[in-house]
Parts: sequence; C-alpha cells; structure tokens
Amino acid sequence: MNKRFPISRRHFLKVGGGALAATAGARALSNWGTNVLNPAAVVDAAAAVPDYHLGGTDGWIALPTTPTIPTYHPDSLAPSPFTTYIFGFRNLNGLTDTQIADQKNKAQASAPIMVATENTDFLVKLTNLGLALRPDLVDSHTMHWHGFRNAIPLFDGEPSSSLSVPIGRNLTYYFRPRNPGTYMYHCHFEDTEHVHMGMTGVVFVRPTIGPKFAYNDASTAFDREYVMFLSEVWAEAHWADAHIQLPDWTDYKPDFWLLNGRVYPDTLAPNAIGNDASGDLNAPAGSPHLQRQPISSLVQANAGEKVLLRFVNLGYQKQAMTLPGIKMNVIAKDATLLKNGSANMSYLTNTISIGPGESVDAIFTAPAVTSNTTYLLYNREYDHLNNAGGVGYGGQMTEVRIRPSGVPAQTDGPNT
Amino acid sequence: MNQSFYKRIGWGMLLLLSMALIATLPRQNASVARAAAPAQSGIVCTTDASPNPTFTLTAKTGYIGIPDGNTIFMWSYALGNDDFQHPGPVLCVNQGDTVTIILHNALPQSTSIVFPGQENVQANGVLAQPQFDGTGTLTSLTNTAAATNGSITYSFVATQPGTYLYESGTEQAKQVQMGLFGALIVRPAGHTDWVYNRADTQFNPSTEFMVLLSEIDPLLHQAVERNLNYNMNNYRARYWLINGRGFPDTIAPNGAAWLPSQPYGALAHIHPYNPATNPIPAVVRYLNVGTEDFPFHPHGNHSRVIGRDGQPWEGPSSENLAQEKFSIPVGPGQTWDATFSWYDAENWDASGHPIPVEVPRDQNLTFGPYYGSPYLGTLDSRPVGTDAQNQCGEYYHIAHNHNLTQIAGWGVTMIGQATYTRIDPPLPNSCP
Repeated sequence: MNKRFPISRRHFLKVGGGALAATAGARALSNWGTNVLNPAAVVDAAAAVPDYHLGGTDGWIALPTTPTIPTYHPDSLAPSPFTTYIFGFRNLNGLTDTQIADQKNKAQASAPIMVATENTDFLVKLTNLGLALRPDLVDSHTMHWHGFRNAIPLFDGEPSSSLSVPIGRNLTYYFRPRNPGTYMYHCHFEDTEHVHMGMTGVVFVRPTIGPKFAYNDASTAFDREYVMFLSEVWAEAHWADAHIQLPDWTDYKPDFWLLNGRVYPDTLAPNAIGNDASGDLNAPAGSPHLQRQPISSLVQANAGEKVLLRFVNLGYQKQAMTLPGIKMNVIAKDATLLKNGSANMSYLTNTISIGPGESVDAIFTAPAVTSNTTYLLYNREYDHLNNAGGVGYGGQMTEVRIRPSGVPAQTDGPNT
Repeated sequence: MNQSFYKRIGWGMLLLLSMALIATLPRQNASVARAAAPAQSGIVCTTDASPNPTFTLTAKTGYIGIPDGNTIFMWSYALGNDDFQHPGPVLCVNQGDTVTIILHNALPQSTSIVFPGQENVQANGVLAQPQFDGTGTLTSLTNTAAATNGSITYSFVATQPGTYLYESGTEQAKQVQMGLFGALIVRPAGHTDWVYNRADTQFNPSTEFMVLLSEIDPLLHQAVERNLNYNMNNYRARYWLINGRGFPDTIAPNGAAWLPSQPYGALAHIHPYNPATNPIPAVVRYLNVGTEDFPFHPHGNHSRVIGRDGQPWEGPSSENLAQEKFSIPVGPGQTWDATFSWYDAENWDASGHPIPVEVPRDQNLTFGPYYGSPYLGTLDSRPVGTDAQNQCGEYYHIAHNHNLTQIAGWGVTMIGQATYTRIDPPLPNSCP
C-alpha cells in the first residue's frame, strides 16, 4: 500500500486556482469552506500500519444486577461476571493474527477513543470479526466518521451509499482531517440496532497549533482533557439480540444511561490498560467486571488548571449534563468553534444540553481549592440518574476531584 | 457581506422588472400558479401574484401510504378543489405581501389555521383571537371555520422573511397530528434568492429544499377514522415522516405517480461547489410540526445554520453569527434554515490522484445500492445480482434523524425520517 502521493501540479492548480477564484467571487460564502479552499500542507502518515485497527464483533459487558429486569436483565446467557450482550469495536493494533481472531466476542463499550491530527492523514482499518453468539446473523459492519466534512461515500460508511465489510474481511478508511474538533464514530450498518448495541465512540482531531489546544484558537488551551461519551442501554433490545429476537424500536425505553460505557459508580474506576497474552483487554485494577468497559470518567485536576470536557451523545435521547459549582465555558459545538469572525458566541453554563448525534466542547477552570474537593458531573435528567430504576445514584454521573496541587500532568492522553 | 451595493440594486431592479412583466400577463383563471410537472427535486412552491397573493385551502380527509405497506387516514389541506394532498401546499410569498388564505372546511369538526411567526393575523377582516364558548372555556386558538362546509378568510402582511409553519389551531393535539399543517416561505423583498435580508444568506434557487418533519400515532388516526374517542395519554408516535413521506419514498421524485397524495419529495440534488460554475450553496429549510425533538444529521458536510424561526443568526450590529453544525436539532414548532455545499476537497481522480488505500475485491465487500465508486462521475462494475441504483457515478450521502428509533417505524427499520443528498458530477456530465 503506497500512502505517499505528492500533490500533482494539476491537482495543485485545481485546488489553488479554486481558492483564488473563490476569493474574487465569494459572495454568500463568508468563511465557510476556508479550510478546503485554502489547503494547508498535509503530512502523510509515515507508518504503513493504520492509526487504528478496529475489530467489529459482539461481546458482553457488566451493568449493575440490582434491580433485575424480569426476562431481560441480567441476561441468562451472560458469562460471569457480565450481564449484557453488546456489539462493539476493539482496537486490534499491535495484535498478531491469532490474537486478532481471538477477539471475536470480546467487544468493548464504549469504542476506543481515536485521536487524529489536523492535516495529518489518518487511516482506520476495519475488520469484521463476526458475531460469536449469533452465527445466523451475517451482518456487515462499517465505520462512519460522524461530522467529517466533505466526505466521499466510500469513506463515509453509510451502507446504502457505500461499501460495508462482511465477516472475515476488512477495509481501510482514509481521512484527511482538515478541521479540528470533537467528532464521533459508529457503525452505520443496520444502524438503529448496531448503534444502540454499542458500536459507538469518540474521535477527535487535534489542531495544528498544538496538542494542548482544542481548536486553532489560543482561547481553547487546556491542561487536561476528558471525553464524556453518552449512550444508553435498553435491556430488552440487548436481550433480544442475544436470544434471536427483534425488538420494536418504536417501543424504545432505555434502562441504563452510560458515561464512557459505564454507569455510576463504575464510572469512577480506573482505566483498563493494555492487553493480556491472548490480546484481550486487561481489567481495570480492582474491577474485574469492567474488563470490556475500559474507559474511566474520573476527572482529576489541580486548582487553576484548565480542563476540557468533550461531550458526545450517541444515545437516542437528549441529555443535560450538569456540573454545579463550576462554570463551564462552552467553546464549540459540532466540531465548530463558537466564533464567527470577531463575534464570540462561547458562553458560560453549568448545564450542557446535548442531543443525539451532537458534540459539545466545554472548558472549565479548576477552582482555587485549598483542600481536596469533589464536585459531581451528572445528568440533570433525574429520571436517567439511576440504574434500571433502582434506588440510589447511577447512570451518567462521575466525580471531578480538584486538589490544591499534586495531580501529575496528563501525559497518557484523554481520560487519564 | 461581500455583495456590492450595485449588485443589490441590480437584483432589486431585476425583480421589479419581472414583477412588472408578470403583472402584464393575463392570469390563468383565478387559481394560483403551480407547476404542472414540478422539478423532480427541490421545494415545490405554490404561489400567487405579489403583492396580494390569495390561496384557497380545503381541509379534508384522505389517505397516505407508509413504506411498510400501512395506509393512514389523514386530514390535510388541499389546494382549492384539488385532490387531497399531505402535507398542505408549500405557500411561497414575498416580504411585504398581504397574504390571504381562504379556508374551506370539509371536515366533520370545526377547524382553523394559526400562522406562528406572523403578526396581526386577521380573520374575516378583524384581528384573529382565541375563541371561548359561553362559559369562558377556550375552544380554539383562533377563529374557526364551522364543521362541514364552513369557511373563514385569514389575512396578514408577511413582514419577516424566513421559514414558517401553518397549522390547525383547533383541538390541535388531534388535528395537527391528523395532518393539518404545511410550510410558508417568506422571501426577502427584492431578493428572492436570499433566505433573509442578508447577502450572506443567498442560495441557489435551483437547490432549495424542504425537510418538514412530522410524526404519526397510527392508533389515533384509526380512532378518528372509526369515529372513536382517543385518550391523548396513550399517545405514542410510531411513524416519522419527512414532507409527509417515509424512507425510501422520501427520495422519490416530487409528484411521483405512485404517491398520489404525497407530492413532496425530500431528495437534495446538488453539484459540488465550484467557484466559477456553482459558487452559491443550496438551502435546506427544516420544520418540525411534531411533538418530539428531531436531531437531524445530514452526512457529507456540515450545514451552515443561518437562521431559526424566521430570525437570521446575526448580532445587534448585523454581525454574521451563522454556525456550521453537523446536527440540526429541530425542536417542536421550530424552523431552522441552513445552507449546504459539498466540496470536492481532495479531488480524487482514478488516473492522476487515486485514493491512497486499496479497495478490496468485490467478493470481499458488501455493496450499497447507491454506491458508484470512489470517484465522482465514475460508475464501477459491481457484483451481479446486487441492487444497483447509481446512474452516473454520482455520490449519495444520507441525511437522517439521529434519534435512530425515529428512522425506524412500527416494528420495521429504515422507513422513517431519512433521505439522501445526491451529488452529481460537475456539469457537463452523463447523468440523466
């Protein structure tokens, strides 16, 4: 696979000429399309390996077993310590062929956080590992980068307009991200089902001005960043997929509201780090049931630090994530800085309203605490702040722990 | 705002000239203008001569088809004595027009029309008012046409350009759900190709599209058809439609013969941005006449939201506050206006500038019916026996509600709020 291709003279003229003509003739355009019409030098990824190698398959995760939901939860087929059947992705980069084959039925929730860089080629190889529990389903999979500007259908992943990956096959998606920001990705094949079953995650693009900025704007500098990925589990639908049944999606009524693939208090457990010898995920320290839910939502920062929260919602309901006691500055929505020329539309709030398929970037400054202080970030939709209707707190909630000092710098990427 | 003063004057002159021309033409009887064979895609305007357009709407019963094979009993607005259609006609007027709407009621219940966003609406020549019965109980949001052949005449001056709904104002939980609604487009005076009175809201008039989002509880419709009571506490939408159609009917042409009462398609048919030949974007006018949020997600590129509810997104000093978004979260009763262009950002070309990844052989892939090839204007061969809908190597991008339960329907997937954007190769091309 030859990834290097110089910009041909013809191509340069085509694009450069377009930019000139656009400047002369721009009427309704405003600043729209600027990044396309004024192309920046593009860095070809040097490695022959894809940036991410997603495996699409089924698997099991663990959600609280109290209360039970008659028939549906916990699933009678679930192997201990798990409860709930899912479809999902894994990152297979670095695994041997044997290890890759072994990851069938070991999907994770939510999908790996993918990080790209503006103007740097980005390759995602997708392998369909098949569904171990449902060999009767011969579903293909795709990867749809939700919000990618000026996509061509081949790399869009909507199956009717594109190509999909059958079981045992693979396809490499190519992206040249020209616009930084917070996006999301998901399988688009039989989308109502595959998205709800968990083939969903976050991809974001770092700007060229530096890795500690959200956008190409000095006001978006941060010290730490956390992805806050919202999704839902309707136990009946997950049970139905495991038991060769079909739900009526118009009866949709979720039982669990997930933050980065977990529900409170599991959201506070640490990240799962690395793979075992078989290529499977290691469980987070102290939480063996979270082996396939590797992403922590615990926010930790020192007083005065700027913390970027990247909210993404791929559930089917609108949510209201609130952080009482700390104002969040909403700087961007849908991977677009809330600025238009000199007009600044960023705003302070305690509550982020976010609907299905939306992303919101917010930065807060950690309060000047003099002792360790805990704030709560949770869904203000209080009927979603529980686990399957049980007593006590659950759902989309996590803690924001601010210390006067001593939290080590964030060097291992988001949510660390 | 880069459009020069002289250009604006020029547009105004052009419009005045064409209005003068139209005024000299004999009017085709008293009926309003409606193309006999509308363009296959794009908004189908029902118009009448400015500055006093008059429309006659008849509220009546009929049926629409749902792609799962179900048939739904509906109430809707027909134009004059025309056949039943759903939704009601798209009324397009100019800013400053005095718009008159004569409502005839062929329904067995009194009905009315409210015009959210219009001010000083008159009913039979006096200010339209909420209606109360003798005991002071509210009976209608506005003046009504009596059941079974009553009539009423509404009029208003369309003062603000933008995208608006018109809908029943009487027992509207039932009547709007039954289908009594439509779209009203008010075009800026002198600038019929602008959405608002701003040069940066200019759109290409050949690529003006409507996404009118609605929902249906089939049990309510069945109850009305059978003259039974329906308890609104049991309300639950099971179907979700665009322009009165479910997918894939949404991408069928305007006026498709097999959808006799659902005349409005929702396919957005465009060409790539080109600074010389296609510099002006398309516009999509989103309207939500349902009771739920519809977070709409057009694939392919961001949309540029330029206004909402008949108000341009601008600051107090006319600053442009338009925003690129990949989700258009249209709430109940809202309208959103967004321009859209698709840029051939990478100019992939099979001979000189191929995509930098290998496409597996056909037998290792699942082909979508609308897929053509990686290259705009190239139609690759595909495995025998696969459904092939691509005509000339055009690109398709889906545009759909991202509450994915609403692209499903009562026990069936992919019959709801989804449509496509079709991007043809630059002209001249071989496309039909």
